[in-house]
Formats: sequence, structure tokens, C-alpha cells
Amino acid sequence: MPMGQKTGGVVQGTLDMLILKTLELEPIHGYGVGLRIEQISKGVFQVNAGSLFPALRRLERQGWIEGEWQATENNRRAKYYMLTDAGRKKLRSEAREWQTQSAAIARILEATSGEV
Amino acid sequence: MRLVKIIGGGLRALFGKQRVERDLDEELRDYVASAVEHKMRAGMGREEAAREARMEMGSMEAVKEEVREVGWETSIESFLQDVRYGLRMLGKNPSFTSVAVLALALGIGANTAMFSVIEAVLLRPLPYRNADDIVNVASTWNRNGTLTSYASSPPDFFDWRDQNRSFSSMFAYRIGEFALTGQGEAKRVRAVMATAGMFSTLQAEPLLGREFASEENRTGANHVVILSYSLWQAAFGGTADAIGKTIQLDSEPYTIIGVMPADFRFPLPGSDAYMPIGFDNKVMTQRGAHYLAVLGRLKSGVTLAQANDDLLAIMTQLRKLYPDKDGKWGVRAQLWSTALVGEIRPALLVLLGAVALVALIACANISNLLLARATVRHRELAMRRALGAGRLRLVRQMLTEGLQLAVLAAGASLLLAHWALVSIVRFGPTDIPRLASVGLDGPVLAFTMSVSLACAVLFGLIPALRSSALDAADLVRTSISPSRESGRLRGALLVGELALSMMLLAGAGLLVRSFMGLRSLSPGFDPGGLLTVSISVPDAHYKNSLAVQNYWEEAVAQLRGLPGVTSVAAVTPLPLSGDDFSSSFRVEGRSVPEKDEPSAELRFATPNYFRTMTIPLRKGRTFEDSDRLGAARVLLISETAARMFFPGSDAIGQKIKFGASGGYEKNEGEIVGVVGDVHDFGVDAPVAPTFYVPLAQAGMDGATLVIRTKGVPAALGQPARKLVQGLDRDVLVGEPVPMERLVSGSLGQRRFYMMLLGGFAGLALVLAAVGLYGVISYSVAQRRQEMGIRIALGASGGQVASMVMGQALRLAGLGLAMGLVLAMMLKSVLKGFLVGVSTTDPATLAVTALVLLIVAVLASYVPARRAARVDPMVALRFE
Repeated sequence: MPMGQKTGGVVQGTLDMLILKTLELEPIHGYGVGLRIEQISKGVFQVNAGSLFPALRRLERQGWIEGEWQATENNRRAKYYMLTDAGRKKLRSEAREWQTQSAAIARILEATSGEV
Repeated sequence: MRLVKIIGGGLRALFGKQRVERDLDEELRDYVASAVEHKMRAGMGREEAAREARMEMGSMEAVKEEVREVGWETSIESFLQDVRYGLRMLGKNPSFTSVAVLALALGIGANTAMFSVIEAVLLRPLPYRNADDIVNVASTWNRNGTLTSYASSPPDFFDWRDQNRSFSSMFAYRIGEFALTGQGEAKRVRAVMATAGMFSTLQAEPLLGREFASEENRTGANHVVILSYSLWQAAFGGTADAIGKTIQLDSEPYTIIGVMPADFRFPLPGSDAYMPIGFDNKVMTQRGAHYLAVLGRLKSGVTLAQANDDLLAIMTQLRKLYPDKDGKWGVRAQLWSTALVGEIRPALLVLLGAVALVALIACANISNLLLARATVRHRELAMRRALGAGRLRLVRQMLTEGLQLAVLAAGASLLLAHWALVSIVRFGPTDIPRLASVGLDGPVLAFTMSVSLACAVLFGLIPALRSSALDAADLVRTSISPSRESGRLRGALLVGELALSMMLLAGAGLLVRSFMGLRSLSPGFDPGGLLTVSISVPDAHYKNSLAVQNYWEEAVAQLRGLPGVTSVAAVTPLPLSGDDFSSSFRVEGRSVPEKDEPSAELRFATPNYFRTMTIPLRKGRTFEDSDRLGAARVLLISETAARMFFPGSDAIGQKIKFGASGGYEKNEGEIVGVVGDVHDFGVDAPVAPTFYVPLAQAGMDGATLVIRTKGVPAALGQPARKLVQGLDRDVLVGEPVPMERLVSGSLGQRRFYMMLLGGFAGLALVLAAVGLYGVISYSVAQRRQEMGIRIALGASGGQVASMVMGQALRLAGLGLAMGLVLAMMLKSVLKGFLVGVSTTDPATLAVTALVLLIVAVLASYVPARRAARVDPMVALRFE
């Protein structure tokens, strides 16, 4: 059976943000994006092709990333994605939103009965 | 900006599709290659790395499909793909396609035609400004607990009009016929005689000239006329100088004061002229004379209920003030649009319900066909599913195919509906308002579209959901035998179809029985061989009753000379013509207070009338030529009247005085004979007590000639008309009408409803037969192997055939049983439409069941024979 088409462990809806963040570091091709996310998250997040490529297509359509065919270090042609200005803006607002939310969630989870 | 990109990306993908696909393909291959490299660097062997990478990737086609579905263009693309694919599938199975489209077109076409009728008769707004505020006001009489509407009397109308607080205006009118003379051959003119409030109530103004004023509603001042647009065109060529000219109506001069616009029609379907009704000084004493129709326009913000309360309060006062004349009368206001279609609305709605069932049957049929086909396409669908098509995608594809069927069927159904409407207009009854204006207009087309869509979803959904539930594992199964569940579903749909058909057939059967019963009822005379020609004599030429009498005698004598004619008479009002003339009366020697005087129908006839019509004489004598003006006044009485008014005593010799209030005022006569009853108001209407007066003693200036011929009555029409017209050019001669047509015309609505319901039931039967045939022949095709084995093991063809027939008849029997239960439930729906037949008439139900059973046997016979002839060798080699 093929691996499920769910985002492997990534919170639904955050994959787009993670991809944008990865591309902010440097332009990179599809496999690299997945690898980066896996490495940086120390293997917590695994992104399979079934969710990665639809996400890339979605972000490209929204105009947040752009793809360009380049030669790889191994002399193959690969499509490198890079962040656009709109994508940079989007990433900042997403990140801010995420931080606000995760901080709030953390506070709720750490709450003790005395605080209420 | 972003929108532009989104749209641009979509368009690029749509039109530069190959490049985008190539790119994606390359990108994914690069992904796998990168993964392999990465794994090898981590120390795996090439083989192992490649396998792992492939495993992680899963199906590349599935990934591609997911990527493709990101953009909006994909849904269009896949829709177009589905359409192309669907058309190919439909084209590949022409027999399936034509059966499905035809069945559906019949169902939708019947619905379209029926809805056109409903739209024209019930839904289309009346052609007046703010027509929703126009209200019909009628006098009511409580007859055995049910309120019946009647015309109103002038004094009642004036009191309502002047005392109410709910209406901005109100007017009263009646319809009259005039002979328009002085312009060649006399022409019949249908005129509205109305009070001046007509224009403000209908919110209509003359195109030319002026309205009439309330001062002109007086006898003597009312000789002005407003022409309809068409009469203006016909009589004056549409010239403006017609205003101020004078025309002769019934030989009296009327000054033309205006012309109404071309689109003004009142009352529907329209009339030729509008003139002020004339009231004389005694009008306020005629409270008992009910002959006016009343319409009012509600003030804005006033509800119908408030208007009714208002009128009722006024009527309560009037009842107290005039207990003898108004004591038992009530009043009722109804929306005019509702009042116009009173008894027609429930009938049409029942028919709409029936035709919706036909559509349902058609849908069940097609659902069944699709289910059968889906089983055949099982492999194809499982394959597509395995190759990465999502479940939704398959449902969408199946629905698209259904939609295509529905669109094809909708087109065909419009043709069918058009033919149906043409025949409805030609052969339908004339007393359903606006029926003649039916057509396939905007609302009808919208209805057809929605019904088709609803059908597509209805019949497409079950098969779509079922077949999309397949998964890759189904592909591996080699057998294509359908699940038992599918067979049960198809059986259930079929049983439902049969049950609904049974119900419709039973309903139609009951209407047919009721109608046949009515047809076989005698109207009280023999209508065959009778021709009727209505005549109106202008009183200007015939100043006294004697002159009129001479005219009648001359006309009768001349007509007697025509070849084939055996007998001629004159009568008014003509039975079955819809006209009536009634009067209150008192029997001499009985003292009854005026308000309790009985009333009866009056008919004026020449001596030959009873022989011509073949109305039997029961007692005494009929009229004789000597019963003339100046001779002793005599009367005949109908059997019913004799029984009603002179129970247990002899009517002959009794003296009658007519009409204190209205009616046949101050006339009298002695009863000299009793004659048979006549259903004067339609063979389905009860007989009314009737008095006959010699035409010669009444001096009526209008009557209908009744001519009995040995030949075909219609053939006599033109010679008779010419002959009468030749006697006096200014006499108004109506179109000759055979009496048979009047008799059947009085059943026109019933015939119409019966034909429609019969047609729908017939459709249902055909659809159910097709459905049964489809299910049985499909199951035979499926069980070919089994049949082959049975025959190989020694079963005879007959045994196999009877096994198949048995299966069909079990389904049919189940359908029949359910249909019988449903038919029993028709009781409350059909009660109002049946005369002389019980709603659970066992004979009708038995015949219906038998018909359905025979159809079931016929429909399953062909597949059963096919089963019997299965060659065991072929069957065993199959697969």
C-alpha cells in the first residue's frame, strides 16, 4: 500500500508555512525541501511526495514561490523553488500568527488551577 | 495581482498542458533520483535504495493526480474529460442510450406539458396591473352546509361598494350578447355591461377616447360604448374618427366614446365591447335579483381576511334590514385569481402529482439500467480506481454521464411536450380559463431544466455511489458476478415502479369507469341527429310579440323543407348551453309568504319541441298550435317538478303565478301536461325542476332552433344558416352546433382529466414494462452459465423458462400487492372526481391488476425464451 496521503505528522495547514520557511533559507528543489524539513525537525516531521508536491503547486499558484529549472550538483536538471516578495510577506504573517497561537496554547496547557 | 497569477497559472496549465505535465513528470523523477542518491550516501545498496524510494513515493500517478487537482482548471478539465468519455460510452451503447433517453424524455415531456398547463391556468399572473389586489365578491348561499357562490343583486352591490372600508374601488358587471347591424351581415358582439368603477378597479384606461362615468349607469343615458381593439380594427379599420360615430346594437344606436388597448382582455378570454350597465329608478327594489358579478380592488395594506370581515359586517346589517330578500344570503371575497380556477385547481394539482410519479418511474427505470451497466463496467471502474482516481472523481464521472442522458432527454421531451400542448389546445375543454394560451415559455423551460437535473441526480446517484465503492481489490477478482445486494436493489426499484404504475392505472381506470357511466347516462332526450342554431331577432323590426311569433313560425316552416329534416322546433334557453332562466312562483290556492316561494327553471318552447327532442310526454298533453297569444295560458311541467311541488296530487289543472321578485314577472298559466326530465345543465349535473311555457305566448326575441335530421347534423349547418339568414339580414344567426357536441362538451373537463391521467398511466405502464424486461433479460444474461449447466444436467428449456418467468412474476406480484395498497390510498384524492363509482371499485382494481399482470408476462416472455434456448456448450465455454 502506498504511504498515506496525509501530511506525515505535520499539523494540518502548517506544511505551507514550513515550506516557505525552508525556501527562505535558500532556493532548493522538491526533494531538498522534504529533506530539510525532516532534518531541521530532527525527524519529527516527515513529508512524503503525495503531500509535498500538491503543496508546492498550491504555493506556486498563489504566487508565493517561483520555480526555475537549474542544474543540480550532480548535473541533473531539477526545479528549484525560491520565495517571492509576496511569499516573504506571507511567511512573516504566518509565522507571527503561529507564534501568537502556540504561545497561547502553551499558556493554556501550563495553566494550573491557582491561575484561574 | 494574485488573482491574475492564479488565473494565469490555470490557463497555462489548461493550454500549455503538455509542458506542465512534462515538467511535473521530470520533477517527480528527479525527486526519486534524489531520494535514491540520498539513501545510497547513507550506505544503502543501489537496489535497496531504489526500492525504498519507490515505496516512499507510492504511486506516482496518484501523486500527479493530487498535484493536478490543486488548480481550478482541473475541475473544468476533468468535467470536459467526463463529458467526452460519457459521450463515447453513450455512443458505444446505442440501444442503452436510446432506451434511456426515450424513457426519460417521455417522463420529462409529460411533466413539461402538465406544468405548461398549470403555469398558464394557475400560475401566470392575470393580465392586469397589480392583479393580486383584485378580489371577486360573490353572494353566497348555504346549501346543505357548503357555501355556494352566486351572482349578486344591484342593491346589495351598491351597499357593499358604498359602505366598505377595505376596497379602493369596486364594480359590478354582466355579459350580454348584441347583434351588431347596419354593417353588412349581422354580427354577434359579446359585450360587458359594467358600472363605472371598472376602469379604476382593473387599472386600465382606454387607448382612445374616454371612460364612461357613473351618470351613464342609468337607463336612457347608457347608450355609449367603448370598443375592444379588435372590434375597432374589424369594424372601423382602426381609424381614430370612429370616436363619436354611432353603431347599431340590437337595432339601437350607441355612440362610440372610446377604444380599449389591444392587450386589454376582460373578462378572460376577452370581449368585443364595454358599455355602462343601465339601472332604472326601481333598481333599489330589486334586492332579490341576483345577476351581477362583482370585482373590487383591495386598498393597500388590507388583507383578504379583513375585507371579508368588513363585507360580512355590512351583510349582517343588510340581513336585518331586508330579512325577506337578504335574510339567507351571505357574502364572500376571494382573490380573483383563485375564484377563476375554483374547482379546476385541485384537479390540475392531482394531475401534476400523477405526472411526477411518471417521472419517478422513469428515473427508477434508468437507475436500474445504469446499475445493470455499472456491473458490466465493474472492471473498468475498479481499474480507474486502482490507477489513482479518487472516489469523488468517479462519482462525478458517473453523474456527468447521467447529466448527459438528462440533457438529451430534455431536448427530446420538449418536442414531445410541444405535440402534447398542440393537441391540448385543439381538443381540450373550452371552459378552463387561459388553457388556450399554454406554451413552452420561459418558466416552463426553467421547469424542464430543473426536472431534468433533479432526474439526473435521482437516477444517477445510487449507481454512482455503488460503483465508486469499488476498490483495487475488486480488480483482482476474476468473476464479474454482481453482488446479491445489487440484484436486490434492482428488484426493489422495479417493484416500486410496478406499484406506482398500478396506482396510476387504478386511478385512471376509476376515472374511465366514472366517465363511461356518465356517457351512458341519457340527457333525457336523444341528441343524435339534432342540430341547433341560435337566433336573435332585433326588436326594432318586430315591435310586437305577434311579429316575433310570425318570424318563428316562418323560420320553422322553411327549415322543415330542407332535405332530410324530419322535425323543427325552437326553444330558449337551449339545454346544455349553459344559459338558464329561473323564476320564483306560487301555486294558486296555496298561501306562502313571498320569501318562501319556491323557484324553478323556465324553458320557452314551440309545440314541436318535445317531439323533436324526443322528450316523452308522461301525462296530459303537450303544446298545440292553438296555444297562442290571446289563448288561455298553458304550462308543462317536468316529472321532477311535479314530484317536488305536487307530491301525491295531480299537477295537471293547477294554476301557477310566476315571479314576484325578478324572473318571469307577473306571468301565469295552467299546467296541462307532465313531460320527462332533461339534464339541462350537463349529463353529470342533477336534473332541475322545470316549467315549459309556449314560446308563442311569451314573445321571446331570441331562441335556438332545434332541427332533427335523418342525415349528419353538421352537414345541415350551412344550408340551415343561409336559409334563416335569408329571411332577414338583420337577424343574428349563430354558428350551427350539433347537439352531440353540446352533450360531450358538458363532460369536457371530465374527459380532459381522464385523458391526461389515462395518458400518464399508459406511460407508467410502458415504462414499467421496459423496466421489467430490462431487469429480467439482464438477469438471464448474467445467469447464462447457470442456465447452461442446468440444461446440461438435464433441465428442459421449458423448466428454465418457467424459472425465469417465475422470478418475473414474483416481482410483479409484489409490485401489484404494493400498488393495490397505494390505490386504496387514492380514496381521498379521487373522491371529488368520481361519479357513480366507489374509489375502491373491485372490478376496476381487478382489471387493472390483470392488465399489469399480462404486461408483466409479455415483458418477461422474451428473456425467458432466450434463457430456454441457452446452448450448454456456449454457456460453459463462456469466460
